Amino acid sequence: MLELMDLTKTFKHTEAVKNVNMFIEKGEIVGLLGPNGAGKSTAISMLSSLVEPTSGDVRFRNKSMIKNPQSLREVLGLVPQEIALYEDLTALENLKFFGRIYGLKGQQLQNKIEEVLDQIGLYERRKEVVKTFSGGMKRRLNIGVAMLHNPEIMIMDEPTVGIDPQSRNYILETVKRLNEEKQMTVIYTSHYMEEVEFLCDRIYIMDKGNLIASGTKDEIKQILSSENSISIKADRWNDEFIKRLQDIPTIQRMKVEEKEITIVVPKDLNMFAAVAKIADESKLELRSIDIKAPTLEDVFLHLTGRALRD
Amino acid sequence: MILQIVKKQALILLRNRMELLLLFGLPIILITILSSALSTWMESGEIEINLKVALIEQNNEEDEINQFISEFENSGIPPEAVEKMKETASVIAPVTLIKDAFRSAEVNEMVELVRIDPSEKEAALDDDSYSAVIEIPENFTYDTLKSVMLNEQNKAEMKIYQNEEQEIGANIINQLLSVIQEQLTFGTFLAENGIDPNVTGVEDSEMPGAAAIVDTKESVSSKGYYTIGMAVMNVLFMATAIGSISFKEKTSHVFDRIVLANMSRWIYFIGVLLTGMLFALVQLMIVFGFAWIAFDVDWPSVGSFILVTLAISLAVGGLAVLLTALSYRVNSEMIISFFSSIIVTFMAVLGGSFFPIGESSSVIAFLGNLTPNGAGMSAYLALLRGDGLLDISQYIIYIFLFALVAIIIGELSFPKKGVS
Ligand SMILES: Nc1ncnc2c1ncn2[C@@H]1O[C@H](COP(=O)(O)OP(=O)(O)O)[C@@H](O)[C@H]1O
Ligand SMILES: [Mg+2]
Repeated sequence: MLELMDLTKTFKHTEAVKNVNMFIEKGEIVGLLGPNGAGKSTAISMLSSLVEPTSGDVRFRNKSMIKNPQSLREVLGLVPQEIALYEDLTALENLKFFGRIYGLKGQQLQNKIEEVLDQIGLYERRKEVVKTFSGGMKRRLNIGVAMLHNPEIMIMDEPTVGIDPQSRNYILETVKRLNEEKQMTVIYTSHYMEEVEFLCDRIYIMDKGNLIASGTKDEIKQILSSENSISIKADRWNDEFIKRLQDIPTIQRMKVEEKEITIVVPKDLNMFAAVAKIADESKLELRSIDIKAPTLEDVFLHLTGRALRD
Repeated sequence: MILQIVKKQALILLRNRMELLLLFGLPIILITILSSALSTWMESGEIEINLKVALIEQNNEEDEINQFISEFENSGIPPEAVEKMKETASVIAPVTLIKDAFRSAEVNEMVELVRIDPSEKEAALDDDSYSAVIEIPENFTYDTLKSVMLNEQNKAEMKIYQNEEQEIGANIINQLLSVIQEQLTFGTFLAENGIDPNVTGVEDSEMPGAAAIVDTKESVSSKGYYTIGMAVMNVLFMATAIGSISFKEKTSHVFDRIVLANMSRWIYFIGVLLTGMLFALVQLMIVFGFAWIAFDVDWPSVGSFILVTLAISLAVGGLAVLLTALSYRVNSEMIISFFSSIIVTFMAVLGGSFFPIGESSSVIAFLGNLTPNGAGMSAYLALLRGDGLLDISQYIIYIFLFALVAIIIGELSFPKKGVS
């Protein structure tokens, strides 16, 4: 239904997006994953006709959208990464203005606004000025505004950045519900693995302007089929333990957190005994050693050698 | 659609208490302060800078009077009659009358009369420091005497070259000369009827004449002056306020949403223009309304007043849309803050908002009238002095042209494509 073909965007000094190809089918939720600066927003801006590509094409229902994006715009709802609202106006006034510029009016507008206010859980506070809202409330209204004209395709650019877990869950549930109840197609950008894992059927992974992987969740995790992720847990670490782990050549990657160390090793290698021995010799009391199912985080680590959220 | 944009801009502006106070309260406060603090200065006449007038005499008054009298003596009229004619002629002596008028205390304070040799006429005409050049042609005295005493029509006219760049100065000279003209006729009447002008106080009657000139200047009170000055200055801030609101729509990505709603950029553009115009109009009406109620600043011709106000409002709308377009183009609010912090002040001073700067130099007066606020101010001042629509039409046309140019430059620089 919607296709990005060899899409490239070069700003003065940066190649933000390089030869990216994607397709989105009706009714699916597609995740676009990547660290900050990967080029997700730029790709999405080109997709939604706000930024003209340096080269390549955006095709919607087999028609190029570069010169005449009107038909795409009509069915598109965009939730920008920024809070694109009038801070000095109330939630209701914002919804009214954006509804009207989409041509809604009268009772129809009224009904739609009430429906949206219910969906984003802001009905009670509709008459308050946006400036006074919490980050989470602003994010929800940011989404609500994009839903007014019943878009078939919803593009959400990191809609949960910087908000409390409760609002975040609320937003994720709302997106899932819209997809299930209204068959809304969703393109969801994030640098949170959990969100993409929870929501998406298919996933694209971007890094430094390049598309580095794509496929269904399972397909992508298959990338890691030759590896095992081992989780080592303890209350605290000591330097000797970490140093000796680092010296083991078969450990391909290692991530140290406060109470957990994750190491990635070839699948057929049994590391349990070795790890237990090092812990014993460096006088460290371990809580557990487990093999972990691979996560998208691991996939990203595998593909780029870097954690997603540095 | 356009209405939605205007409504929303208005709503945002109204929510902004501080901005509103600045836009509507500040001019009113400034008018009050300036007009009371500076009224003495304004009305003491000190502001009336020294005008310079060049006088070129191609005639010799004494010779011509003698010529006139000797022709009389030789015409066989009874000697008593000749004697009377002689007296009258010496009283009328028109050139002396003009010089005396300029030398009277009241006029002398404002106008310096410089006698110029006929050979320097061209240089004087080119010299912008003269508000006017008066040329007394040959036979002027002779012809004037013949005309006023013998009712002959071959009257020689004195020539007045007005310096168009010093309009106010030239106007004063004109009025002064017309007073002298009356003086001349009146003096003739008295002399013909054998009344000594010095006794009846014809000399004194120069004073009311001169005072009348001062009066016309004073008819624009300091309150009136500063009402206009502050109104036309502060209305410029409306353009920057609207420009800021619009640019914020870009930085907050609200403009992205507007574009995605398939709204034409030009609808948005026109919306900004109309908002600027509408709010400028409201602001001017409030400021002038206040001045009318509180300071009795009322307009002899309401229709002309409204026309000037509309023209200025359109110019402000044009500026608003120009600032919006430029800030969108360079993706920075810098140009708007530069405009509101520096250019507005500059334009306000040049346009005469704080003091009649234009009267100090014709070049500055000219430049001042190139600013929309300065042209507006000149038009308003002229209206307050009782001038008609025709007298100010050049200002109105100029302001409309200014608005048009601002809109066109805005249209050309508003990005046609791409947003982020
Ligand atoms: N308007 C722009 N001008 C110049 N560089 C830009 C612009 N927008 C984005 N970039 C650059 O392009 C790269 C990708 O940015 P972006 O698409 O925002 O990434 P993401 O959304 O994945 O964080 C970054 O290096 C960013 O600095
Ligand atoms: Mg981004």
